[in-house]
Amino acid sequence: MTVASASPAVTARPRRPAPSRFLIVRLVVAALITVWAGWEIQFTLAPLFTDFANGWVVVEQFLRPNWSFLGSTWTAWLETVSIAIIASFFGVAVGLVLAYMASTVTNRSTRIYRATKWFLSVLRSLPDVAYVLIFVALVGVGSLAGILALFIFNIGIAAKLTAETIDAVDAGPLEAADASGAGTFARARWAVQPQILPNFLSYALYIFELNIRASVVIGYAGGGGIGQLIQVQFARFNYENVSAVVISMFVVVLLIDQLSQYLRRRLV
Amino acid sequence: MSAQTATTPATVRPPEPGKTRATVGAIVLVVLVIGSGFLSNADWKELPSIFTEGWKYLYLMVKGLVQNPFAEPYSEYWSQALGGMLESISMAWIGTLIGAALSVPMGFLAARNVSHPVVVQATRVVLNFIRTLPELIFAIILLLPIFGFGANAGALALGIGAVGTLGKLTAEALEGIDPGPVEAARAAGAPRSAILRWTYWSQVLPEVLAFWLYRFEINIRASAILGVIGAGGIGSVLSQAFRYREWDFIGILLFVIIAVTVIVDSISGAVRHRIIAGGGADVKDADAERVVM
Amino acid sequence: MIELKGVTVRYPNGVVGLDDVSLTIPDGQFVVVVGLSGAGKSTLIRTINGLVPVTEGSLVVDGVEIAGASDKRLREVRSSIGMIFQSFNLVKRTSVMNNVMVGQMHDIPMWRSLFGAWTAEEKETAYRSLERVGIVEKAWTRASQLSGGQQQRVAIARALAQDPKVMLADEPVASLDPPTAQMVMKDLQRINRDLGITTLVNLHFLDLARQFGDRVVGMRAGKVVFDGTGAEADDAVFEDIYGRSLTADDVLPGQA
Repeated sequence: MTVASASPAVTARPRRPAPSRFLIVRLVVAALITVWAGWEIQFTLAPLFTDFANGWVVVEQFLRPNWSFLGSTWTAWLETVSIAIIASFFGVAVGLVLAYMASTVTNRSTRIYRATKWFLSVLRSLPDVAYVLIFVALVGVGSLAGILALFIFNIGIAAKLTAETIDAVDAGPLEAADASGAGTFARARWAVQPQILPNFLSYALYIFELNIRASVVIGYAGGGGIGQLIQVQFARFNYENVSAVVISMFVVVLLIDQLSQYLRRRLV
Repeated sequence: MSAQTATTPATVRPPEPGKTRATVGAIVLVVLVIGSGFLSNADWKELPSIFTEGWKYLYLMVKGLVQNPFAEPYSEYWSQALGGMLESISMAWIGTLIGAALSVPMGFLAARNVSHPVVVQATRVVLNFIRTLPELIFAIILLLPIFGFGANAGALALGIGAVGTLGKLTAEALEGIDPGPVEAARAAGAPRSAILRWTYWSQVLPEVLAFWLYRFEINIRASAILGVIGAGGIGSVLSQAFRYREWDFIGILLFVIIAVTVIVDSISGAVRHRIIAGGGADVKDADAERVVM
Repeated sequence: MIELKGVTVRYPNGVVGLDDVSLTIPDGQFVVVVGLSGAGKSTLIRTINGLVPVTEGSLVVDGVEIAGASDKRLREVRSSIGMIFQSFNLVKRTSVMNNVMVGQMHDIPMWRSLFGAWTAEEKETAYRSLERVGIVEKAWTRASQLSGGQQQRVAIARALAQDPKVMLADEPVASLDPPTAQMVMKDLQRINRDLGITTLVNLHFLDLARQFGDRVVGMRAGKVVFDGTGAEADDAVFEDIYGRSLTADDVLPGQA
């Protein structure tokens, strides 16, 4: 017996729904944006074929990294790691306080909550490089500008991630703390913090990793560390040296990645 | 409350656990931070100038903002700022699309429940390599020699940079799908391509779309970074303005960056939310989307 | 003494939680509140604690008017009212000791609370509370490692550490298996007898209500529909309170 002849059609078959009009509008809008954006930046892949030879000269130098140069980079590496440690430590500490203020779970004042949210979204909308430029103008080229820029940048990320974790916290202990007359501070510290601590520590490690990764950008804009070294070597066309530093960067980031994964497993 | 009247037979109170580990941890952390303070070679005595100089510059920036935007030179400042921002958004959009297009096959190759273990490992090494290096590196190494300075090179660098994270997230999403439909399709004798398309891809599509939008938000910020090496967009304009210390112009530029980023973020965030949640009146619509794409 | 006079609670979404409730509960009484879910049992308990604001009427707990009290005043009142929840509401990722400390938070200054620097006296109070529910050996264990019954006993210890005059329990045994439920109810009863703490317990098992309630209050649709002793509350009364005939779900499994 085939399915088709199985039973008499009692109910009418529904018609296939027409594609949603909103969907079509959205797809057309997306296509228009793409065309316009491509035109705006004069998008082309042609140089890949026409100018490949010019580029290949440079790429060839990159394929022959000058390993002996790495010996002289360790102070710059130390600087980069130190910058990342200070900026992460103070950044996440301030971020934690702001996160408590940026969640309705812990902040009972709607006005302060809104103000903090607004402040944080302004803070996060500027890219790290803008902060470096600002602080280079204020305190001069060097690590201090890098530390301050990353510090501000880290506050934004730490506060956002932590506030989202606070929002999702189990509300039961909060209710219990409220019912026993605990104050705003005590309930944040003892009903919320133990719940978010593993996440918070793992965000701190993540932010440290981000800071190491950002060091190229930071240094390029004048914030010290390994990025500054890359910029100098690049400006002198020492591509073999740049290549060696880039590869060492990959290794360092991988190592820190492994270390923080190990720490995270132990923390959670 | 009095304990003397307690009726339960008293069990022994356990000893309070030691705090050695926590104390050692705290000391290590403090030493690490203070040590870093020295090793970073930071010129700490410059720190107070944030407060002494900061106000002055802030005043100049705000002053630039409140000038008549239609009078010279402020009209020029505003049009440069808005033009730069448009270029940055375009770079971010094209970059995201390139990254998205490349990340789909990479994601399938890197998903343990789709590809052969050897292929998975090889793809993951590539994705990790890309993820480790900032876009700036791709721009300076691979693109500037070939594409020269400009927004086109910037968009390509953003695209390559996006493949790392998008590929990884796509692979993780694929690994997290409900295996039931896959089994059902296999049991019905469906060819591999159909299984990948209608069970794997259909299940992860909303999630992957949300990743793309999220990456777009990140790329808008990253495009400013690329501007510093001359890849166009608002970043180039900004570093120019800083070079000449035009604080009133800088004020306008920062305002435009903040305002546009906040607006784009909230639009993109709302769309992402709808895609993921489906939510209320939009449920039918989201399903339709899933079917068509 | 707890005194409600014409208390009405209307939630912001328009739902009426309590409808013109008047009740007087003398000190030291053990009261069981019964009713279907949504009948207003939970609202009653939360209103007494000030967690739900009174819309109309007067509610006096221990001589303090709760209706319209300031936040600061409410916190003071709450500090002398212990509360126990169906889902225990412990912070699972921290020690039993720190959980019990939450009961004393209203008296601990901010800086000591920040570092968890409890005084010997505060720890003594916590130990005694834990001893009273017979779980002191778990004082430094993580709350997540305890069974449901043990967690509820820690929650009772947390409430005891407040040195409360009133104890409120919202479905304290609904998530526990029958023998554990009996034990926890007995703990509550013993604390009520030994320390003279006025106790209000929400229950939906009618056999537990009869067994433990010196007084049983029945609620339906936000109104008090029965008020009498446990002995008076026979099946007919319960059918009236529930507005339907009784089923096996209305008694503690394995008891009836």
